Amino acid sequence: MALFSKSALEKKANVLAKIRQFFDTQSVLEVQTRSLLDTPVTDVYIDSISLQVNEAIEAKTQYLHTSPELEMKKLLAQGSGDIYQICQVYRDNEQGVQNFNEFTMLEYYRLGFDSHQLMDEVATLINLLGVEGEVCKLSYAQAFEQFAHIDILNSSFATLKTIAKSHQLSTDFDWIEDLQIFLFSALCEPKLAQLPVCFIYDYPAEQSALAKVSAGLARRFELYLLGVEVANGYDELQDAPAYEQIFNRENEKRRRLNKPFLAVDTCFLQQLNQPLPQCAGVAIGIDRLIANIA
Amino acid sequence: MATYATSQFKNGLKLMLDGNPCAIISNEIRKPGKGQASNRVKLKDLITGKTLEKTFKSGESVEAADVMELDMQYLYNDGNEWNFMDPNNFDQFVINDSKMDGVRGYLVEQDRCVVTLWNDNPISVTPPNHVILEVVDTDPGLKGDSAGTGGKPATMNTGVVVQVPLFIGIGEKVKVDTRTNEYTGRA
Repeated sequence: MALFSKSALEKKANVLAKIRQFFDTQSVLEVQTRSLLDTPVTDVYIDSISLQVNEAIEAKTQYLHTSPELEMKKLLAQGSGDIYQICQVYRDNEQGVQNFNEFTMLEYYRLGFDSHQLMDEVATLINLLGVEGEVCKLSYAQAFEQFAHIDILNSSFATLKTIAKSHQLSTDFDWIEDLQIFLFSALCEPKLAQLPVCFIYDYPAEQSALAKVSAGLARRFELYLLGVEVANGYDELQDAPAYEQIFNRENEKRRRLNKPFLAVDTCFLQQLNQPLPQCAGVAIGIDRLIANIA
Repeated sequence: MATYATSQFKNGLKLMLDGNPCAIISNEIRKPGKGQASNRVKLKDLITGKTLEKTFKSGESVEAADVMELDMQYLYNDGNEWNFMDPNNFDQFVINDSKMDGVRGYLVEQDRCVVTLWNDNPISVTPPNHVILEVVDTDPGLKGDSAGTGGKPATMNTGVVVQVPLFIGIGEKVKVDTRTNEYTGRA
């Protein structure tokens, strides 16, 4: 068996070339940030791969980046302007039909954009790359209403557990956001599989991650291509205290799950003494994207 | 109560869902960017025969179904009940006619089939992939015709109707694929 398919190599090279061309015309600067980090991400359900380096000199533990997000935000805080990066990222405990320990990510930030402007640009970009089909946009609440007849924003944790039970689904969750995400996977994603291109936006505040919350909604979006999650974008938080609050919240969840409590990236928080400019950013899984290009 | 964790899921594993035993057809682990992993599983309900899709939280435990598949010999039917025998120990099992939909026309006495037991009760029968049946009624054949130029319906000794080539006549034995109800040749 051949170790690679020439046509697959060419297809990926072509997609990467078109991405670079696109950002070049938009005057977005390509950057590279380090992939070996001193501190792993605090995301509750993203595990970093750690490794020992410098054993012959002075051994220390490093972590492969799971996304270039924080390193790129350091650049944004220092005035880099619009930037993008295409890189391999690494995640532990991910292996499945759609998940791998290593994959190619495109991450980019647009100053002055909000998440809706960024969704429009992502739609333009993927269309340029050859993803075809009508672009659908649904708020998280609309998706739940339409696909599962659930009023997700006004349902308490107890109500959602009752709903999960009525669908014979697990109710073993510690936090409402985990159950929301599970119900979305179980009840909405199978319906999204019929839509070629669908943006889901405005998430419940509990799922804000590193996105801004306004009017009780996290200004985030995800892009689904035939039901597969391909991109995740935010109206980015700007100042250090906001980030620190999220990191601490994630660590608190980690503690309750008996997962390792992780040191917060203090270097990142220091860099944000100068807050990020108002911007929107998105991470796009390139391999999943290519799977949707003929 | 025996249970299976999602990490033990594999094709063919039998689980209890909604009170019915089901067999796993496919199992896909999915991990959202910001959430916990889940298992998207396709199953076949062994009672109704329907295919269903269900999402489990990874790590969840699910009740195992006590389902066994045994090779048995078909003995006879008396109209209401169908009788089978385990050739290893001569145990006999009786299956109600209501559970024989889609199977009746392929059971030939003495043939080996697979009987599925749930909690030691037979719930379904799978005939052999190929059986030999005798044509008891069909229109007269035409000389010179061969397989592949259309066909005609023929009623078999078991009652099932199979499309056969024009040259097949009453009294002939033919081989039938039970999965597709197709004629595959003269026996």
